[in-house]
Amino acid sequence: MTPPDAGARQNAAIDGDAAVRFIVNGRPAAVAASPLTRLAQVLRDDLGLTGTKIGCDAGDCGACTVLLDGRQVCACLTPMGQVEGRSVETVEGLRQDGTLSKLQQAFLAHGAAQCGICTPGMLMSASDLLRRTARPSRAEVLDAIGGTLCRCTGYQKIIDAVLAAATSAGVDSPPVGQAVGARAIRVDGIAKVAGTESYGADAIPHDALWLRVVRSPHAHARFALGDLEAVRRAHPGLEQILTARDVPFNGFGIYPDIKDQPVLADGIVRYRGEAVLALVGTREVVMRLADEVLPIVWTMLPPITGVDEARAPGAALVQDDRPGNLLMEGGVRCGDVEAALANAEAVAEIAVETPFVEHAYIEPEAGWARRVGDRLEIHVTTQTPYMDRDEVASVMRLKPQQVRIVPTACGGGFGGKLDLSVQPLVALAAWRLGRPVACIYTRPESMAATTKRHPARIQARFAATVGERLTACDVDAVFDTGAYASWGPTVANRVPVHAMGPYRVPNMRSRGAAYFTHNPPSGAFRGFGVPQAAIAHEAAMDALAEQLGVDRLEFRHRNALRVGDRTATGQVLHHSAGLAACLEALRPRWRDSLRHVAAFNAQARKAATHRRRGIGIGCMWYGIGNTSMSNPSTMRVGLGRDGTLTLYNGAVDIGQGSNTIMIQIAADALGLPMAQFRLVAGDTDRTADAGKTSASRQTFVSGKAAELAGADLRRQILRLANAGTNAALALDAAVLTVSDGETVRRIDLAALAADPDGNVLVGKGTFDPPTTPLDADGQGVPYATYAFAAQTAEVEVDLELGTTKVLRIVAAHDVGRAINPMQVEGQIEGGIAQGLGLALMEEYLPGRTENLHDYLIPTAGDMPLIETILIEDGEPLGPSGAKGVGEPGLVPTAPAILGAIAHATGVRLTRVPVLPHRLRAALQAKPGDRP
Amino acid sequence: MNNIQYVAPQSIDEAVAAMAAANGTGRVLAGGTDLLIQMRAGVVSPGIIVDVKKIVEMTTIDETSGGYRIGAAVSGAVIGEHARLKKAWPGVVEAINLIGSKQIQGRASAGGNLCNASPAADSVPALVAAGAIVTVQGPKGRRDVPVEKIHAGPGRTTLQPGEIVVSFTLPARPAGSSDAYLRLIPRTEMDIAVVGCGVSLTIQNGTCTAARVGLGAVAPTVLLVEDAAKALAGSRLDDKALEAAAAACRAACKPINDKRGTIAYRTKIAGVLLKRAAGIAAERAGRK
Ligand SMILES: Cc1cc2nc3c(=O)[nH]c(=O)nc-3n(C[C@H](O)[C@H](O)[C@H](O)COP(=O)(O)OP(=O)(O)OC[C@H]3O[C@@H](n4cnc5c(N)ncnc54)[C@H](O)[C@@H]3O)c2cc1C
Ligand code: FES
Ligand code: FES
Repeated sequence: MTPPDAGARQNAAIDGDAAVRFIVNGRPAAVAASPLTRLAQVLRDDLGLTGTKIGCDAGDCGACTVLLDGRQVCACLTPMGQVEGRSVETVEGLRQDGTLSKLQQAFLAHGAAQCGICTPGMLMSASDLLRRTARPSRAEVLDAIGGTLCRCTGYQKIIDAVLAAATSAGVDSPPVGQAVGARAIRVDGIAKVAGTESYGADAIPHDALWLRVVRSPHAHARFALGDLEAVRRAHPGLEQILTARDVPFNGFGIYPDIKDQPVLADGIVRYRGEAVLALVGTREVVMRLADEVLPIVWTMLPPITGVDEARAPGAALVQDDRPGNLLMEGGVRCGDVEAALANAEAVAEIAVETPFVEHAYIEPEAGWARRVGDRLEIHVTTQTPYMDRDEVASVMRLKPQQVRIVPTACGGGFGGKLDLSVQPLVALAAWRLGRPVACIYTRPESMAATTKRHPARIQARFAATVGERLTACDVDAVFDTGAYASWGPTVANRVPVHAMGPYRVPNMRSRGAAYFTHNPPSGAFRGFGVPQAAIAHEAAMDALAEQLGVDRLEFRHRNALRVGDRTATGQVLHHSAGLAACLEALRPRWRDSLRHVAAFNAQARKAATHRRRGIGIGCMWYGIGNTSMSNPSTMRVGLGRDGTLTLYNGAVDIGQGSNTIMIQIAADALGLPMAQFRLVAGDTDRTADAGKTSASRQTFVSGKAAELAGADLRRQILRLANAGTNAALALDAAVLTVSDGETVRRIDLAALAADPDGNVLVGKGTFDPPTTPLDADGQGVPYATYAFAAQTAEVEVDLELGTTKVLRIVAAHDVGRAINPMQVEGQIEGGIAQGLGLALMEEYLPGRTENLHDYLIPTAGDMPLIETILIEDGEPLGPSGAKGVGEPGLVPTAPAILGAIAHATGVRLTRVPVLPHRLRAALQAKPGDRP
Repeated sequence: MNNIQYVAPQSIDEAVAAMAAANGTGRVLAGGTDLLIQMRAGVVSPGIIVDVKKIVEMTTIDETSGGYRIGAAVSGAVIGEHARLKKAWPGVVEAINLIGSKQIQGRASAGGNLCNASPAADSVPALVAAGAIVTVQGPKGRRDVPVEKIHAGPGRTTLQPGEIVVSFTLPARPAGSSDAYLRLIPRTEMDIAVVGCGVSLTIQNGTCTAARVGLGAVAPTVLLVEDAAKALAGSRLDDKALEAAAAACRAACKPINDKRGTIAYRTKIAGVLLKRAAGIAAERAGRK
């Protein structure tokens, strides 16, 4: 698994390059580079134009898109020899005299940038179009941006922004007291659209050494290392070759008691892509050194390739101390399932199979570390700075206070950056060498080495009886957790709790179990197993509705969990259970669509065409925050002596917009405008622990903490000014004015004593959602609140080809309260794109799909029209009633699409993805007269 | 990795000389959308790169007494903007324009697509159907070859050492002629064809008087399916003729099973795409 050559570059250095002359953003440039050096490398490394991103280095993602003589090209595929004498435009050239272009403003106004890593490429693709066609059609926009992938937005807001670019105007920041609920633009948005945002690979110090990980080409093998010192000596510039022996404590993992994954493998590898050695030295040397040169002697061992093998009696063990290869199991039991099944009027039996799914964030893992005295400082793209800090400290046998994590901007996470990647390696190397050390994963490396969505096998039986009431649910879910535990226990716990879906089911038995195999570790991925489980419960709902002869939406509506109901874990829902409201909002459109689909199909049959349409529906619920575990967050708002207002925010914004949400909430709680806030984000030395950006928890948990912090500061100010609770605040430079009716007090902040951060007052808020542990039967209160949602999907299937086009999705989500409706829509649209990928195209096969042309994620052209309906059934615990929406967006999508395919064709697939050849085969196997 | 030399000659003669001097280690660089990726992956490691993008004959499109001569290194984007070519050979142009994304289009050439010799290369079935003639120049001078004779197997061509593809010639053809290309991919854009099918035909008074069919991604090389053409020629493109041509396509298939499609699926789809592409070509040719 040798990564890309840095060869061209290196040749260049040897040959003593002639200068390549060209124009960049209107200015002449001359760079000493070999004619085969790629433009992307020259822009980033020689010219410091890091707005041009590298997501794949292979033409597949478009993150490196620039204009060459006015035409969009991939800078990663353009050799400098073909740039000579020509004109290059990059994202940095879009701003004129510091003013954002109309297109950039439109991106801000429409929320078109989430994580922002695709944004520079998108802007350049769109600029190419807009210069030719000032007012393009939607189809022209899709065509222009089709080669630029976005994993966050589902493309809708990007398309809207490009269409609106001609007429776009700036958006005003919301006034005092009206931030919550406003479609406020991102507080960190300008840097993202200007191309100045700094991601993991963008601000590596010039003197940094480079680290390249040597990875296992085998799924299961023993290895012995030869004379590495000889290799080091033979390659000047190679400083160290790190092995397992060099790691002070060679095990890490999410759970405090499961540190099973080595930083560097110790004599045995358990999956293809596992880290074996780390080469540290100059960039050229470590990138050029081929794996074949290294004295590693492999002894191949037979791999366990799936859960069936792992569970088989007498199976070899992936980890010696894990009998039966079982990582863990969890379950929920209530009522009498057998009796209910025996008395049922209808029973549905469902078997679901899902594959590994790759996060495919456009930013591969990247970061760098340096040693500062007896401390380590790590700049890294991450979703969880505090966990990174503690894990690095554990691996290095340092105290947590000796490690500082400074999160860079994060170019997409979706759960994949909740595990360690480069952190312990660069930390170890920097600690030993006393020099900054950087590491950037290549795309194939990112795909091979890091975690995936758990492949699932689910067996489900659901029963209903008179009055179309659900009576029983019996679910057995088995997950392939890969070689190491990672987040496997979370999935095995969360799924049984959610297995019956968002419905009232009095009798329930569910089991989730995760098994070790010699596959890549399965970790956290948007939904923690719930998207897989939803495919099962929603297939069952459709089957029961059909058996009972009732409408699919109405059957779900009848059984929807409502306030006052008891869940299968025995928890009574006291507030905020808006599924019925979601379904009611969908009902009129659902009925219209059923009519349209029937008319279309009647016409198609008459004309003997091969196209059929169908509509499907999916519902979900999702517990916000960790399952039955404390997951507190602390936020602070500081009022500086110089009048600056700072939110110290330890919650990492991975694109979903928590930076903006936190400020919206804190601003209203405090009573000052959003625009006056400054942000300190993530840095473990400067912020308090807000927990991980996972489990859809930041709006609910950290948002509440921000609300409490804002309110706390307000209380302190009012006390200082001796003013009543309704007093109005105004901040002008270092003068804080408190107006309480007729009384106006001016506080000169500069005259007050300040803390070391320069703050004269600091408001603090902590929130930990109330939960209880689950007992042996899975009874208890696993989550303080749940999000609910229902989506409908309309598809057109080509019966001859087996292809499916999703035409429209209507998504109704109960979010408690939409703090920022634009961002909520963005989360839902992006979730839908990932749900569509899960349903129709994504399947990770180790060794075969380690790039973005064999592993397919949806492009702009794959996306349907999306209509979002927000239901606000307030949750009293949440900030202004808000819950979470990060994961719920994708959970109902695949079930809705699968239901629509079944409606169109009469065949129900429960193995995803529904690739064309699989659907064709199913159609052919179906009795009847299909082609 | 060895040092790689780079030359960007202005003429074909110089390019051929540079290739000859390279002693078998030379590689032509057009858009680089295949070559640079293969170099990066270590699949090929040339000693000298001959960039042909500065050679006028290879980067221009000319009209030649009713036909067209397309330089082998012209980018897809430039071909797509040639209105008359697009009108005359819509199938060839749509096939070339299906290669990759807009960004890839700005660079990728039909010559590169052909010489990379992927059985799934999108432009090739359309060029085969069109009866394109390839002009090749090498150490022994120039020769003209039918395009279907270039592929020898996955990644292999019949080009002799040092030979360069200079251009494609699309012949003049009678009124009532047109062509079409269809491919199947699971995603909307940017994916490798599971099956690709090009059909070119002439219709006079409702009867198909001439036809050619090219099939991609169903065998080690792109195929010219003469039996399918025979089934179409002389017919009124009725269901029976179309089914016979589809059956000929299915019979010609020698596909592989892979993650993109099974043997059974690819074989079935070859027939479906033939019928549909023939229908589109017939519409374009002016069939009522
Ligand atoms: C993201 C992406 C998407 C793609 N999508 C598609 C697709 O949808 N369909 C498809 O068919 N292909 C696709 N490709 C592959 C590639 O873009 C095409 O094959 C393209 O046409 C190659 O043209 P080029 O000019 O870039 O060739 P180059 O990379 O420059 O050359 C390709 C090969 O041909 C040789 N060569 C080039 N020109 C000549 C010549 N005139 N004479 C002799 N030898 C020559 C080169 O030495 C090299 O071996 C894709 C590639 C990428 C990166
Ligand atoms: S980095 Fe160039 S296309 Fe992905
Ligand atoms: S915003 Fe597009 S990839 Fe994140």
